[in-house]
Amino acid sequence: MHSVSRNRSRRLLAAAVVGAFALSLSACGGGGSGEGDTVVIGYTGPLSGGGAAYGENVQIGLEMAIDDLNSDGVEVDGKPVTLELKALDDKYAPATAASNAQRLADQDKAPVVVSPNAGAIKAIQQINSGRSNFLISAYTSDPAIVQSDNPLTMMIPPNFESYADEFTETAMEHGGKKLTLLGTQSEYGQQWTESITESWSAAGGEIGKDNSIDYATVSDFAGPVSKALAEKPDAIFVGGPSQPTALIMEEARKQGFKGSFLVMDQAKLDEMATVTKLDNLKNSVGVLPVAEYEDPGTEDFLKKFADKAGDKKVATSETALNYQGIAIIAKAMEVSGSTDDPEKIREAITDALPEVDDRYKVNGFPEEITDEGHLVNPNLEATFLDDDGKYTKIPIEQVSDNK
Amino acid sequence: MTLFIQQLFNGLALGGVYCLAAIGLTLVFGVLRIPNLAHGSLYMLGAYITYFFLTTIGVPYIAAIGMAAIILFVLGVGLERLVFHPLRNSPHTHHMIAAVGAMFFFQALAQAIWGADFRRMDTPITGELRVLGAEISAQRIVIIITAVIVLALLAWFIKRSIHGQTIEAIEQDRIGASLVGINPSMVSMLTLGLSALLATIAAGLVAPINLLSPTMGDALNLKVFAIIILGGLGSLPGAILGGFVLAIAETMTATYVSSAFGDTVAFIVLVAVLAIKPNGLFTKAVQR
Repeated sequence: MHSVSRNRSRRLLAAAVVGAFALSLSACGGGGSGEGDTVVIGYTGPLSGGGAAYGENVQIGLEMAIDDLNSDGVEVDGKPVTLELKALDDKYAPATAASNAQRLADQDKAPVVVSPNAGAIKAIQQINSGRSNFLISAYTSDPAIVQSDNPLTMMIPPNFESYADEFTETAMEHGGKKLTLLGTQSEYGQQWTESITESWSAAGGEIGKDNSIDYATVSDFAGPVSKALAEKPDAIFVGGPSQPTALIMEEARKQGFKGSFLVMDQAKLDEMATVTKLDNLKNSVGVLPVAEYEDPGTEDFLKKFADKAGDKKVATSETALNYQGIAIIAKAMEVSGSTDDPEKIREAITDALPEVDDRYKVNGFPEEITDEGHLVNPNLEATFLDDDGKYTKIPIEQVSDNK
Repeated sequence: MTLFIQQLFNGLALGGVYCLAAIGLTLVFGVLRIPNLAHGSLYMLGAYITYFFLTTIGVPYIAAIGMAAIILFVLGVGLERLVFHPLRNSPHTHHMIAAVGAMFFFQALAQAIWGADFRRMDTPITGELRVLGAEISAQRIVIIITAVIVLALLAWFIKRSIHGQTIEAIEQDRIGASLVGINPSMVSMLTLGLSALLATIAAGLVAPINLLSPTMGDALNLKVFAIIILGGLGSLPGAILGGFVLAIAETMTATYVSSAFGDTVAFIVLVAVLAIKPNGLFTKAVQR
C-alpha cells in the first residue's frame, strides 16, 4: 500500500515537473518570436555577493537609459523598437559571465551584452565573434581588453593609466615627495599601484614599502594605517570601493596624517563623503564626481537618478557612463538600420556619436571611437579636492591604449 | 615602540572580536558535532540588526547590541529546530550542505532588506586615549573591555549555572548526559542560540570601526574556523587563546613582515599547529 501511493505520487511529481518545464519553454518561445519589435540588451554582472553594490549601480544606469530611450522612441529601419534589459548574475566570476553572455545571445538574441569587469570581458571575448556574434559593451578601464583586437568590443571608460602622471604631479605639489602605497589587493588595485609607482619614480619621488591590503577581508584598518604612517609619508595612494577607502582615509587623518591622498578611480570622492566627514577627504586627487560635470544632460540625469535610487545614494560614473553607453548603442542601431547585426552596429558607432541627443550626455561624452573600440572623450578631467572642500578640475592627457 | 604599542592594542581589540565569534562556533561543534558554516552570516545578521535598532529605531548603542543579541538568540534556536534538528540522524555532509544553504539564504535576505551597498554604523563612543604615546580609539578600548566581561560571564554561566553545565555535560558525553535526565535537544537549541548571541555582540562591537555589507561574515568565517582548529575543536580556553594569538600574530606580521602576509599568517600558524599537534592546542573534543 505504502509503495503504491509513493509510486503514484512520484509519477505525479514527474508529470508536474515535465508539465511545468513544457509550459515555461512555450512561454519563452512566445515572448521571443511573437512581437518582433523588442530587442533585448543583455547584462551580466555581480548582482549578489561582494560585488553586488557595483553591479547594481551599473544596472541602474542601464535601466535608466532604456526607460528614457523607450519613452523617446527608438526607430530602426522605419519600425519602432522597444528595448528590454535582461540582467543575469555572474557573482564576479568570469566563467559564469561567459556562459551568461552566451545564453543572452543565443536564447534572448541579444545583439549587445554589457559586462562591468575586465576578467569577465576577457572571457566573453573568447565567444563573441565566432559561432555567436554580439557586441560587448565593456565597462572597465583596463586597456588590455582593446589590445586583444576583438572586433566586437566597445570600451566605455577612459584608460586608467592616463591618470597616474597628473595624479602624481598634483599630489606632490600638495603633499611632498614621499609616497606610501595603501591600495587594495585586487588585480585592478595592483595594476593601479604599479602604474602610480612608475609615475612617482619617474617624477623623482620616493616610495616606501608596498602596504597594500585586501579591503574586503581586513576587519580593522587601524593596524595597516599605523604601519603605513610609520614611514612618515607626504602622500598616500589609496583605493578600492568608495566606502572602505573612506574609512582608511578617516583613520589616517585620525592618526595625524596631514599630507595628500591619491585616490584610485574605483573610489568616488562624493560617494565617500556619505560615510565619512568631508574634512577627512580633503587634499586628495581623484576622479571627477558625476555631479561636477557640466554636460547638457547632467542635471536632469541626477534628478532622475535621485527619483529612482533615493536621495541618499550618490550617482557614480558606473551608472552615468553605462547610461551614455546604451544611448550610443541605440543610436548606432538607428544609424545602421539593424538591431540584430552586431558588426553593423559596431561600425555605425562612429557616425552615431555626433547624433546622440544632448540629454544623454551626462558624464564626459565621447567624441570618437578608436579602431580598437575605445570610446574617447578628448576633454577628460580629474579633480583635486582642496582644503576648502572645493573640487578643482585637472585636465588629463590620455595615454595610448597600445602596450 | 609607539608603533608596537599601537599595534598591540589593535591586535587585542581584534582578538576580542575573534574570540567572541569563535567561542560560539566551538560550542556548537562541541555539542552538535557539526562545523556551522553559517556562523559568519549569523554574525553579519547580528551587525545589521544592531544597525537597525541603533540607526533606524534610535535605541542607545549598548541597548541596540543587547536587543539584537536577543533576536539572534531566537534565530539561532530557530536554525537548530528547522535545519539541524531534522538532520540529526543524517550523515555529516548533510549538515554542512544545509549550513551553506542557510549562509546563502541569510546573505540574500540581508541584501533584499538592506541592499548591497556598504553601510556605516556610527556610535556615540568617540575620542582617543593616549597610552605610552600611542593613540588608541575609545571604541577599541570598549571592544577589549566588553570582550573580557562577556567572556567572564560566559565562563561563569558554563561552569556554575545549571543550564550552562548541561552544555558541558553534553559535550563530554551525550548518552551519559541523556541518562541523567539532560535533554540533548534543549541543549542543542541553547547552544546555537548562545553562539548566535555571542556572534552578535562581536559584530555589534566591530561594526563601528568597519562597514556593514551582506558578505561581511565571509572573511571572519574562515578565520574563526582557523581559530577553533588551532585551539582544539570544542575547547573554550582554546578558542579564547586562539583568538588572541591569531589576531596579534596577524597584526604583528602585517606590521613587521609584510602587509600582504597578514591575512595569510592565520593559515600558516594553523598548518604549523596541525603538523605538530594535530588535535589543536587544547585537546578536548572527542573526534568521532
